[in-house]
Amino acid sequence: MKAGKILTYVGATIFTLYFLVPLYLLFLIAFSPAKFTLEALYPSLILKQFTLNNLIYAFTQYDFISPFLKSFFVASLVGILAIVLGVPAGYGLSRLPSRLAYGIIVLLLITNMVPGLIVAIPISVEFIKLHLFDSIPGLALVQELVTLPLAVFILQGTFSAVPREIEYQAKMDGASTFSFLTDVLMPVALPGIVTAFLISWMFSWDEFTYAILLSPIHPTLPVEIYLNIERGNELAAVAFSLVFTIPVIVLTLILQKYLKGEYLAGGVKY
Amino acid sequence: MRRDLKYFLFVLPSIIYVLAFAFYPSARAVYLSFENSRGQFTLANYKELFFFNIYGTIENTVIVTVGALLIQLGLALGISSILVREFRGKKLVSTISIIPMGVATVVAAITFSFIFQTSGGYANSFLHLFGLNGVNWYSTTLSSLFIVMIADSWKNTPIMTLILLAGMYSIPRDLYFAASLDGAGPLRRFIHVTLPNLKKFIAIALIIRGVSEFNIFALPLILIGYTPPLLTTLTYSLYSTTTKNLASAGAVLILALISVLIFLNIKLGGKR
Repeated sequence: MKAGKILTYVGATIFTLYFLVPLYLLFLIAFSPAKFTLEALYPSLILKQFTLNNLIYAFTQYDFISPFLKSFFVASLVGILAIVLGVPAGYGLSRLPSRLAYGIIVLLLITNMVPGLIVAIPISVEFIKLHLFDSIPGLALVQELVTLPLAVFILQGTFSAVPREIEYQAKMDGASTFSFLTDVLMPVALPGIVTAFLISWMFSWDEFTYAILLSPIHPTLPVEIYLNIERGNELAAVAFSLVFTIPVIVLTLILQKYLKGEYLAGGVKY
Repeated sequence: MRRDLKYFLFVLPSIIYVLAFAFYPSARAVYLSFENSRGQFTLANYKELFFFNIYGTIENTVIVTVGALLIQLGLALGISSILVREFRGKKLVSTISIIPMGVATVVAAITFSFIFQTSGGYANSFLHLFGLNGVNWYSTTLSSLFIVMIADSWKNTPIMTLILLAGMYSIPRDLYFAASLDGAGPLRRFIHVTLPNLKKFIAIALIIRGVSEFNIFALPLILIGYTPPLLTTLTYSLYSTTTKNLASAGAVLILALISVLIFLNIKLGGKR
């Protein structure tokens, strides 16, 4: 083998280990008796004894279902909102003159950068008045801020790729803009729409800042995990973390080909 | 023109949404920060921030932001220059390198809290294997902040990698070929071909990640709590223990500092 090849493999191995070891340790803590992990001064780096007791204990002694459902409903609502707002916006942007579209995209981009705390503090005051504080729709409405710009980017890209001729053809056959959108464009662009939904769902599932500020009494799963750590229920936090993480890792791997640098960099052209 | 108006109407709901949920609250927070509990204009909230060691807090936030960015940039450059080559097992390595993106921030934080503990913990177990003494990772401000940087880099390097990889694929292979013919080794090719061509991607990745780093919240909250304080954890503790006005002043300070990055981003974005 050439030196370059060897270097590639050495580098690839080191990085692979770097990414996997923390996850490995999380599994180790979840499936080992606590005396080898959390209770040991120098915890063992290998599995000494396998047990399911930690998981059984966590799920029977602590409430997992209500934070799980809260997270699930909030994330699903965020995904639906991303489609409801994002599909028309993506379509409109893909048809507007590029200078105007660019200006609107910059506006969305800025929103994405506004610190969570500056949005959440005044909104918490308003939400208490509107009875949206601690509620599922309230949290979803605010979390949408994090994901809407990305959803709009993805949808705009998908719609731009659909040839204009299809639209002219449909119009000539007498379709209104609305029926063109629902009957022709959306089915063609379905993969992009599903991606926008799933990415939005995923962002909300992971979101912490708005969740802890705007829904502290009936928390979502990430906040519940944090609260368990604060209260010293570390094994419950680990068990919940595993169940919480696995669906998102699966989603990430499914969406891999859409999580491209171009999208994440805000559509950098070269 | 009428056509454009029609398409603009499609975008309007999203614009109204961001105005209502991002711009209005931001303006409201600025307003609240200049108000006292009786609704009168005051600068007292900002003065009060000084009692909470605001300069030290800003300094800590800047240290974490810059440190985390440098670590991520170094790692992402390494991984993307590996992933841009062809080798057996490339698909597996690229899949694994994206996994931390799917791990929630909170989960990453608690995992790293088990790795780094004041006494014992997995990092010290590892040192123990080589007969070294355990380290108290939280003994100084800088080392505590360093733990936050490490945990953050683990979670966020994949995003940086994806952006840099897009940039690396855009560099024509011929340039490398020509450089090889001129006798440039791998290191010199990296310095003279890769880096200059990647400049814009690096800048954009740094700004996008920089904004997030500056807002870093869940990781420090779980790993180090409120000491040493960062702007976000300080503001959160003000939110939960004092008035909305004082907390707003903290939040406005974050916004003011981040505006510089937002401005830079738009400037750079304009040259796309």
